[in-house]
Amino acid sequence: MLSTLAALGRFGTFAGRVAWRVLTPPWNAADFFRHTWIVSLRCLGPVVAVTFPFGMVIALQGLAIFDMFGAQRLLPSLISVAILREISPVLASVLVAAQAGSSYAAELGAMRIKEELDATEVMAVDSLRWHVAPRVAALSLACPVLNTVGNMAGLAGGFVMSVGIQGENAGVFMANLWNFTRTGDLVGGVVKTATFGLIIGLVACYHGFYATGGAAGVGKGVNDTVVRATLCFFAANYLLTSAFFGA
Amino acid sequence: MNALAWLGGLAFFAVRWGRSSLAHAPPPGQTMAEAFKIGVQSLPVLLTISIFVGSNLALQGYNAFTPLGGQRLVGMFVALAGVRELAPLIAAAMIAAKAGTEMASQIAVMRTREQIEALEVMAVNPYWWLVTPRLYGILLVMPALTLIAVFTTLFSSFCVAVFQLGLSSSVFVEFVSKNVSMRDLLAGEVKALVFAVIICFVSCYCGFFSEKGPEGVGKATNQAVVVSCVVCVTFNYLVSQVLYG
Repeated sequence: MLSTLAALGRFGTFAGRVAWRVLTPPWNAADFFRHTWIVSLRCLGPVVAVTFPFGMVIALQGLAIFDMFGAQRLLPSLISVAILREISPVLASVLVAAQAGSSYAAELGAMRIKEELDATEVMAVDSLRWHVAPRVAALSLACPVLNTVGNMAGLAGGFVMSVGIQGENAGVFMANLWNFTRTGDLVGGVVKTATFGLIIGLVACYHGFYATGGAAGVGKGVNDTVVRATLCFFAANYLLTSAFFGA
Repeated sequence: MNALAWLGGLAFFAVRWGRSSLAHAPPPGQTMAEAFKIGVQSLPVLLTISIFVGSNLALQGYNAFTPLGGQRLVGMFVALAGVRELAPLIAAAMIAAKAGTEMASQIAVMRTREQIEALEVMAVNPYWWLVTPRLYGILLVMPALTLIAVFTTLFSSFCVAVFQLGLSSSVFVEFVSKNVSMRDLLAGEVKALVFAVIICFVSCYCGFFSEKGPEGVGKATNQAVVVSCVVCVTFNYLVSQVLYG
């Protein structure tokens, strides 16, 4: 209990120190753009590979329901609302936590174990400013970008399932697609994913930065990163959803 | 091309495991220990995630159906989306993140420390010794964990629907029980077994053929969770298509 509280406090201090270095110059802009680019590229495949089949599943199950009421034309509206508001932000962030978060924890952990971080400190280079801040900022930019790609892939999956496989009318699908969708849904998705990216980046870099205990320690840090980052942003998701779309 | 070669390697790994281990009993004691570890360690994570999935489902269902004047349909939405798709899938993702990464990193550490080579030197088949208890263990606990996830999801969406959104509890329960059949729960169990096999083989394969050193362990763990998630979602679509299509 006491050690959990101590770890929480240490995480809070870490987050505060990183936030200060993200907000004040000098910035490590080159690394920031490089990390954003790498994360976006590496997560692109997994995000598309997950949201596309999920769009198909929503269409499959939704069609089964709406067939009972003879209201098949509501299907595209349901797909777009579900994908834009909830499915794509959550799934894209799960994949970012799994792919980018765990690779950050592994990278920083390996640097800690090999005493590279200590070496930068000895050279009077602020390792938080140089190594951690650009990674955290990069994730919180890359997450919304990937969410947008996930939106497109999910909608495409829904389209392929209902028009291509189940034989619904393509014109009806497109005409009803945006019935219930508002600009607020898109903006909400962007705000949500930027927050999730920030949470994932902080949790991942924390576990890498304070890694101990050799190769096994790095593995454990990576393991903890994925689980804890996912838990934290699911909790944040409930709060943000209540705030944006709540009753 | 690389991905295809990787999948081929995974298939060979599974076949080699089957040839060396299917005919033999699992290492005594280890299987129950793995089952206990996977089940008990994943439980708190699973409960927390399911609570938030359920609460979000209720919120979003309420929002989606309000323009139609169908707030009463929230129960149906939760029952169909949660029980059929989201709860089994999110449970699989969390078990991949918790137990799968642990399998990958444990085996990768053994590879780094050359303990796998040591097993072979001692004439112990590493496939049998390392993969069998993990596979049987996860197969034992995964259906139970999925059922727990399903009921936690339903419970938390009930709480949000009734206490936060102010719906009538009897209507909610009525719509849920009308739309969930035994068949849906059984389909969830089938999915759980499929996901368990995928998670175990992918994670053990990533760990088994990892590079040595701390980077290798980190990379294997990373790869394990991403690949298991992607393969699980793809198979989820296939299983849903077969069972409900």
